[in-house]
Amino acid sequence: MRRADPWRWVALAAAIACAIVVLFPLYWIAMTSLLPTSVVLSRDPPLLPDPALLDASAYAGVLVRKPLLRWIGNSMAVTLGTLALTMTAAALAGYSLSRFRTAAQRAMGFALLASKMMPAALVVIPFFVMFTRAGLVGTRLGLVLANSAAAVPFATWLLKGFFDAIPRELDEAARIDGCTEIGAFLRVVLPLAAPGLSAGAAYVAIVTWSDLVFARTLTSKPDDWLVTVGLQSFTGEYLVDWASLMAAATISVVPMLLLFVLIQPFLMRGLTQGSMAN
Amino acid sequence: MPRIRRESCIAYALLAPAFLLVAGLVVYPLWTVAATSLRIGRSMNIARLDQLPLGFANYARALGDEVFWDAALRTGLYAVGSVGPAFAIGLGLALLLDRDFPGRNALRSLMLLPWAVPGVVAALAFLWMFDASYGVANALLRRAGWTGGDIAWFTDATTAPWAVLLPAIWKCFPFFVLTLLAALQSIPAALHEAAQVDGASAAQRFRHVTWPGIRGAAMLAIVLQALWVVKDFDLVFATTGGGPSRATQTLALLIYEEAFQFFRFGQAAAIGVLLLVACAALSWLSMRRDDHATR
Repeated sequence: MRRADPWRWVALAAAIACAIVVLFPLYWIAMTSLLPTSVVLSRDPPLLPDPALLDASAYAGVLVRKPLLRWIGNSMAVTLGTLALTMTAAALAGYSLSRFRTAAQRAMGFALLASKMMPAALVVIPFFVMFTRAGLVGTRLGLVLANSAAAVPFATWLLKGFFDAIPRELDEAARIDGCTEIGAFLRVVLPLAAPGLSAGAAYVAIVTWSDLVFARTLTSKPDDWLVTVGLQSFTGEYLVDWASLMAAATISVVPMLLLFVLIQPFLMRGLTQGSMAN
Repeated sequence: MPRIRRESCIAYALLAPAFLLVAGLVVYPLWTVAATSLRIGRSMNIARLDQLPLGFANYARALGDEVFWDAALRTGLYAVGSVGPAFAIGLGLALLLDRDFPGRNALRSLMLLPWAVPGVVAALAFLWMFDASYGVANALLRRAGWTGGDIAWFTDATTAPWAVLLPAIWKCFPFFVLTLLAALQSIPAALHEAAQVDGASAAQRFRHVTWPGIRGAAMLAIVLQALWVVKDFDLVFATTGGGPSRATQTLALLIYEEAFQFFRFGQAAAIGVLLLVACAALSWLSMRRDDHATR
C-alpha cells in the first residue's frame, strides 16, 4: 500500500506524540529519582527540570537505608531458579507435544487453561498450606515452585509452537546420521529454536520478577523479601520518601526494560503465537 | 512394533518433568482449593485445617453477603473500565503503527515497554503522579485552571475507583498493540487496494476489510486481558489496598483479605471457586458466541 509521502511524516509525528504520553510514567519515575527533595516536593514540579539540578543522592541514600541490594539478589536468585526449572521442563515437554502424538495433549491444554484462570491471590492459599507443611515458607525454593506453576504450561505451549515450525525432516536426517532421538533434539532442534527459547525465557523472567503475591505471602522476614515486596513496603511508611522510592523503582525496572528491548522482536512473534495456543 | 513402543516411551519421558510440576503445582492446588472451600470456620493453624467441619456454609455465606456482591460488581467494572479503554488505545496505536513511516520499529518497541514494567512499579508510578499534594497530575490540572484543589485521587472514595483504572489501562494496552498489529499485518494488502479501487471510504474500508480481518484476534485478546485484569492483585493492592473503606476492593483482594487477614481460608477458597466458575463460564460463552458470529 503506497501512500502519499506527507502522510508518512504526519504518522511519525503522531507516533512520537503517543510515545511521549505512553512513556511519561517511566520518565517521571526516573526524573523524580534524580531530583533533590526540594524540587520533588514542589507544588508545581517542572516537566523538564534544569539538568544542573540532577543528582544521584537518592540512589546512594536508598542503598544505605534499605537492604535493596539484598532484595534484588533474592529476586535474581528466584528468577534464575524459576527460569532453569521452567525452561528445562517446558523445552522437553514442548518437544514431546510437537513431535509425538500422545494422550497428554489435552491434559496439557487443560493445565494451560487452569493456570490462566487461577488468580495468584487464590492459588497462593493452597501454596501457603502446602509449603507450611513442607517447611518451604520463607525459602527461595518455595518461591521458585510457586512461580513455575503458571510458567510451565505457558512456556510449554509457546515452545511447542516454535518446535512445530522446525521441519521434522531435520530430526529424521539427524537420526539417519546416527543421532539418538535425544541427540537429535539437543544438537539439531534446540539450537534452531533459540529465538523461541529466548522469547519464552524473557517472558518467564519478566513475570517472575514482577510477582508480588507469592513473594509477599510466602516470605516473612524482610531479609527474605523480593524487590517487589520491598518497594511495596515503602508506601506503608508514614511519610513516603518519593525520591528514594523512585530510585529503588528505577533500579528494579531497568533490567526488565533492557531484557524486553533485547528480546522484543522474538517476543512479538512468540507471544502472539502463545496467545493463540488456546 | 518396537519402534512405536520406543517412541511413546520417549514421548512420555520427555513430558514427565512438566507433568510432575503441573500435577503438583496446578492440579493438586486446584483440588486443595475446592476441598478447603468446604471447611467451615477460621483457623490460625494451617495444619488443623482438615479438622474443621465440612459443608457448603462458606458458599451460602458468600452469596448472601453484600461485601461479596459489591466486590463482584467492582471487579466487573474494573475489568470493563480498564480493558475497554486499553483496547481503544491499543487499536488506535496498532492502526498507526501499521502505516509505513521512518523509525516505526523503534517507536513500536518503545510503546510496548509498559508491558514489561512490574505491576508494583506501575502502581507506585501512578500513585506518585496522582499524589494529592505533590503529584504532577494535580499540578498540571491547576496550571490549566481546571481544578483549584488537591484531588486525592487514590485516597478519596469517589475518585479511587476511577484512579485504579489508570495503571491497569497502562499495563494492558501494549498487549492489544502487539496482537492487533500482528493481525493487521496478516490482512493481504490486495484487499485494501481492491476496496480503494471500488471507491470505499476509509470508514467503509475499516468496517468491511480491516475489522473482519482482526476480529478473531481482537476477541481473543479481549478475553485474555479481561481474565488478567479480573485476576489482578498487584495494581489495586499497591495503589489503594482495596480502600478507602472497600471502595476499590475487587474479588482478588477480598479473597486475599479473607485468607491472610481474617484466616478464614475456607471462606476465601469458596469465593475463589465462585470467581473461577464465573471466569470459565464468561470466557467460554464469549469465545463460543464469537465462533457462531464468524461462521
